[in-house]
Amino acid sequence: MTDAVVLVDDLRKLFDVPEREAGLRAATKSLVRRKTREVRAVDGISFEIAPGEIVGFLGPNGAGKTTTLKMLSGLLYPTDGEARVLGHVPSKREREFLSRITLVMGNRNQLQWDLPALDSFELNRAIYRLPQVDFRAIRDELIELLDVGDLVRKPVRNLSLGERMKVEIVGALLHRPRVLFLDEPTIGLDVTMQKRIRSFIAAYNERHGATVLLTSHYMADVQALCRRVIVIHHGRILYDGPLVGLADTVAAWKTIAVVLENGAGDLSGFGEVIHRDGDVVTLRVPKEQTARVTARLLAEYEVVDLNVEDPPIEDVIELVFAQEDDS
Amino acid sequence: MSTFSVAQPGRPRALVDFYLTAMRTAVQAQLQYRVNNYFWMLGWVAEPVIYLVVWTTVAEQSGGSVDGNTAGYFAAYYIVWTLVRNMNFGLSTYAWEWRIREGILSGQLLRPLHPIHYDLAFFAGWKFVAIFLWIPIAVALSLLFEPTLDPSVLEIVVFAVAIWGAYLIRSLNLWALGTVNFWTTRGAALSELYIVVELLLSGRLVPLQLLPAWAQTLAGLLPFKWTFYFPIEALIGDLSRAELAKGLAMQVFWTAVGTALVAVMWRRGIRRYSAVNG
Amino acid sequence: MNALGIAWLHFRLGAMNELQYRANLVIQVFQSLLQLGIGLVMLALVYSHTTNLNGWSQPELLAVLGIQILMGGVIRTAIQPNMTRLMEEVQDGKLDHALAKPVDSQVLISVREVRIWQAVDLVTGAVVLGVALVRLGGDLGMLNVLAFAAALVLGAVMIYSFWLVLTTAAFWVVRMDNVLDLFDGVYQTGRWPVGIYPSWLRFGVTFLVPVAFAVTVPAEAVTSRLEWQTLLLAAIFAVALFTFTRWFWRFGLRNYTGASA
Repeated sequence: MTDAVVLVDDLRKLFDVPEREAGLRAATKSLVRRKTREVRAVDGISFEIAPGEIVGFLGPNGAGKTTTLKMLSGLLYPTDGEARVLGHVPSKREREFLSRITLVMGNRNQLQWDLPALDSFELNRAIYRLPQVDFRAIRDELIELLDVGDLVRKPVRNLSLGERMKVEIVGALLHRPRVLFLDEPTIGLDVTMQKRIRSFIAAYNERHGATVLLTSHYMADVQALCRRVIVIHHGRILYDGPLVGLADTVAAWKTIAVVLENGAGDLSGFGEVIHRDGDVVTLRVPKEQTARVTARLLAEYEVVDLNVEDPPIEDVIELVFAQEDDS
Repeated sequence: MSTFSVAQPGRPRALVDFYLTAMRTAVQAQLQYRVNNYFWMLGWVAEPVIYLVVWTTVAEQSGGSVDGNTAGYFAAYYIVWTLVRNMNFGLSTYAWEWRIREGILSGQLLRPLHPIHYDLAFFAGWKFVAIFLWIPIAVALSLLFEPTLDPSVLEIVVFAVAIWGAYLIRSLNLWALGTVNFWTTRGAALSELYIVVELLLSGRLVPLQLLPAWAQTLAGLLPFKWTFYFPIEALIGDLSRAELAKGLAMQVFWTAVGTALVAVMWRRGIRRYSAVNG
Repeated sequence: MNALGIAWLHFRLGAMNELQYRANLVIQVFQSLLQLGIGLVMLALVYSHTTNLNGWSQPELLAVLGIQILMGGVIRTAIQPNMTRLMEEVQDGKLDHALAKPVDSQVLISVREVRIWQAVDLVTGAVVLGVALVRLGGDLGMLNVLAFAAALVLGAVMIYSFWLVLTTAAFWVVRMDNVLDLFDGVYQTGRWPVGIYPSWLRFGVTFLVPVAFAVTVPAEAVTSRLEWQTLLLAAIFAVALFTFTRWFWRFGLRNYTGASA
């Protein structure tokens, strides 16, 4: 029995992007005949999501994550294939469907700019037709969970980016949606705020059993929240399975970005040199060697700056799926 | 465990609830910009004052009246004009364009409510603030220009209804015009054309009886007359009961036309938008 | 580099920049013609009910319309763009860039922006004025032409000064978004000779917002009814206003730079 919350079957989205070369001649020609290039934003993806799951969509910019979410929330019509959320066809934008989902986009705000968030919440109450008593209970619970009690009375424009994200989330959850689409929710936020929002999402999912689809290009988001990960690249799914399999690979490597004082010699003995730009060298080393390599670098060279980071998602994809990546 | 299904009130009641909430929110937001509102209001008060003075001058030079319209009539016409003009402001095509560009429209599409309700409700709330701010202007103008005004109770009631009818018709038309932005970035040009035709044939430039006969006939066929001239004349003219009733009926008619236009344009437009932008 | 040199440099840059957007020319012509059309309709309506307005015949009023459009073009090409940019920079705190340049600040903020396509109105206005003069017939005379030119220049100087005084007030009253609408509204009074307005309004559009000096006075020159006293008053007022503007600008600047650390 499939009571899958989200059902996606061979979903595709193609865009016709106008293409034009520079110059006057090309501009005049384009007036007569427009050349377009087909962009396959989503190129045949299929998956199912069960109720209560938190699934992470991982992929570099332009991979098709946001396009997929937009199709699942009804904003974009698919070119081909089928998508069903809670049994509804999203693009029909039925009232019942819209009342049960929510889409939160990082960096975009849907609250009234000049008024305190509380006023926007009232509007949402009216839009989603929430009875007063239920509305207040839900609202107060969310405010407490996200600790925004003193922020909701200030005009939204006066809040910092992270604070704004938190009140946005409150506004987005007032109608107790069953499905949460979160598009890059932690983008542009500082580390502390990112952690806070992640822990909120986890707590919310546990308490209410809502299904969560989260897109991100930060591995950390996915690691903190999702037991299941779908990796998307060039509009295709490269991996759909437990996080564990992926995390092992990612966790196995670290990148060290080092800036040297007076030119770099050959650092290939330290690790794999993946990038070099004058005095700035980026190395990839196995995790267990990080401390040792770092110590050696600091001892043997004049180091101006040194950063140890998780490899970016593009590298993860390259590492794990090198044979399937055909750019 | 929590409940997902919250009991929902019936549809019409919910809509009324939304309008009241949104209007309240709009009033709050607008009261913050009191000073700005005044600057802007004073700016367009210049327009009717100019018309008023020009026609009063013509009247004085023609022996006191123009085609039977006295200076006092012109003063009354153009002062009531300022209120009707206020009721006429709605969502501009530039705001539409901005909404689409900034992704605000997407946010609205996620909600289970037709976006037109936002605009109708917000601007309606704004109108209350505008009416409130208009009163001192009206008083000042009345002191300066001595209008002849003597409306009956019926006329005042019809006027009060008619200005909201005017608001509705114009908002619907402007909204339908705004959807043109789904197809082109040059929606502003169409909008300007609309405004110019409206300026000439709605009673905004001159009371319609001063236009040549052919123009008056044309004006009768278009909706503009009922968003501008009719409310003013209802209050200051000597319309019979039949004429007042006819005017309101025409407003109902053009509201229906506007609604149909919005429904069609919106459906087409959103199909296009969702195919491309999202 | 002197003021003129800087002005010319900015003009060239601005023009080159805007000339890229040829579509804007079409839009501008379209809008200009619409506005002209409205003006002509109004004139026609008025003259279907009377033969002269306060002593001004129809061709004479046409001349007034032409000058109003022409001067409007000057304002929207060269004056308003600079003032709105200045207002924005004061609000956003970005004025410091301009102040750091080794150029007189008033000159810089007055000439660096230009909207070349608004110059369409210069052409439209000139054409309308030309038609009006032809319809008036008669000989204009060198003196009147000189007076007209002088009146135009004085009027432009006064409008510029007025705008700068208004914008300088932005140092203290930060939100001034709708000032543009306010001015546009009041400027419409220039479509008619200010003599028709009641005294309080006439005073306002002469000495508060110098529309009369910008439009009616040159129109009087061109319709041979200008009195030398009026022109003298214009000259004196222009000089006085310009001097005050310069002083006010420097005063506001001192205040502003004193405030920001």
